[in-house]
Amino acid sequence: MHEYAFFLGCIAPNRYPGCEASAIKTSEKVGIKLLPLCGASCCPAPGAFGSIDLNIWYAMAARNVVLAEQMDRDIALICNGCYKSIYEVNHILKHNDELRDGVNEVLKEIDMEYKGSIDVWHLAELYYDPKICGVDKIRESVSRPLTGTKIAVHYGCHLMKPRKERHFGDTDHPMWIEELVAALGAEPVQYRNKMQCCGAGGGVRGFDLEHSLDITNEKMINLQEVGADALTEVCPFCQLQYDRGQVEIEEKFGIKYGLPVLHFNELLGLAQGMSPDELALDLHAVDVTPFLEKIL
Amino acid sequence: MAREKDYGNPSLEAKLKDRYYYSDDTNRDFTKEVEKIGRTIAHMCYQCGTCTGSCPSAPRSSYRIRLFMRRAVLGLEEEALTDPDLWLCTTCYSCTDRCPRDIAPTDVIMAMRNLAARRDIVPRNFLKTVQAIYTTGHGVPNNDVNRAARVKLGMDAEPPTTCGFPEYIEGIKAIIDHYGLKDRADKILSEGE
Ligand code: SF4
Ligand code: SF4
Repeated sequence: MHEYAFFLGCIAPNRYPGCEASAIKTSEKVGIKLLPLCGASCCPAPGAFGSIDLNIWYAMAARNVVLAEQMDRDIALICNGCYKSIYEVNHILKHNDELRDGVNEVLKEIDMEYKGSIDVWHLAELYYDPKICGVDKIRESVSRPLTGTKIAVHYGCHLMKPRKERHFGDTDHPMWIEELVAALGAEPVQYRNKMQCCGAGGGVRGFDLEHSLDITNEKMINLQEVGADALTEVCPFCQLQYDRGQVEIEEKFGIKYGLPVLHFNELLGLAQGMSPDELALDLHAVDVTPFLEKIL
Repeated sequence: MAREKDYGNPSLEAKLKDRYYYSDDTNRDFTKEVEKIGRTIAHMCYQCGTCTGSCPSAPRSSYRIRLFMRRAVLGLEEEALTDPDLWLCTTCYSCTDRCPRDIAPTDVIMAMRNLAARRDIVPRNFLKTVQAIYTTGHGVPNNDVNRAARVKLGMDAEPPTTCGFPEYIEGIKAIIDHYGLKDRADKILSEGE
């Protein structure tokens, strides 16, 4: 078993608890154990918080990293926004003495010290990594293949971009999440401008909802074109934007899409035989039933 | 940029006071500050426009990242920090991945937002997130519908974050108070009401 401190963030535990439940259960079936990271906070939101003062963003994210350092475990997480904060701040502080000293001066007030002793991973990259899990192991863990479904992937922004501060390589036409989707028995489909943002980030969802939804709407048009049965992502904030966003798009622009949106963990949970109830899929704003009917 | 030298030629100096020839409302330190906070080489921008061409916010608004890059390079501080378009960047980093000069325009925007926030120019939703994190540790706090759903899933109603361990919130408050951010957020938000 590979053990990680499980950093939850906000939206997974507080809006889509099925993302959290499925992460814990699906990872166990492929040899990954997620341990609770007690007392963790918001990452904090890189757009909303970092925009005001990057120094406070560094310090707040570092506090979360230190909690995992105290457990002597690497962090695994399931949200791109959290990845931006936790991965990137950890990375920056490891390589920038000036910023690290600044952060430690603040953390000293709460008896903490950032050491730079752990690494941060997105659970999806651990699933893809053959040294930890790998696509084959994911395939072997499937008991209810998603045969006959067409699934589109939204990668989101903050997992892989900016490219030179990450390790994923190509950010124009990545295919590794499609490989994971195909391992579940589904057919991954391509669509126009796949790497475009969901529209939620940078505080824009809160600052100008219509502007933000207009970006989402462009994605929805491109997704509709290829007849996907569902959209999968690896970020609960993107999920919220697509899922609740579709309801808001209908209210504001009068367009209805009805495209089910599922976090990759939820999809993997279904493929491993978890029931919709075990995933709290009833909390999704867009009815997931049409997709479930194809696989159950 | 404010000139340090004089030509010693009154008629030329008079000409240079004319905005057609010369604008003195620029601040060279602004470029440096943006570069320091954003940890990027903004002055290398050659205005190719690849960033705006990559930007999901550009086609649906007057927001132009290339324009903000120009403002960064020329030190047009007032213009940059008072323009509401500053807050339309979704921080998607597409421009950063494509900039042929290896600049991070996204981080130029983040730096400008930090500088604007220092002058209390910051939209309300950003400050409300600060308040939420200060009180609960979460930008998106738990609620009753979600608690019931968690219990149905066989999980604790409160996740093992600051929700389940509120004693950790003190540490978060201490960090935010170190910077005086909560008081500033409260003050700015109350002024707007
Ligand atoms: S892509 Fe880079 S060099 Fe070109 S205008 Fe934008 S910031 Fe300047
Ligand atoms: S990071 Fe901001 S400026 Fe750059 S392309 Fe994305 S939305 Fe546009």
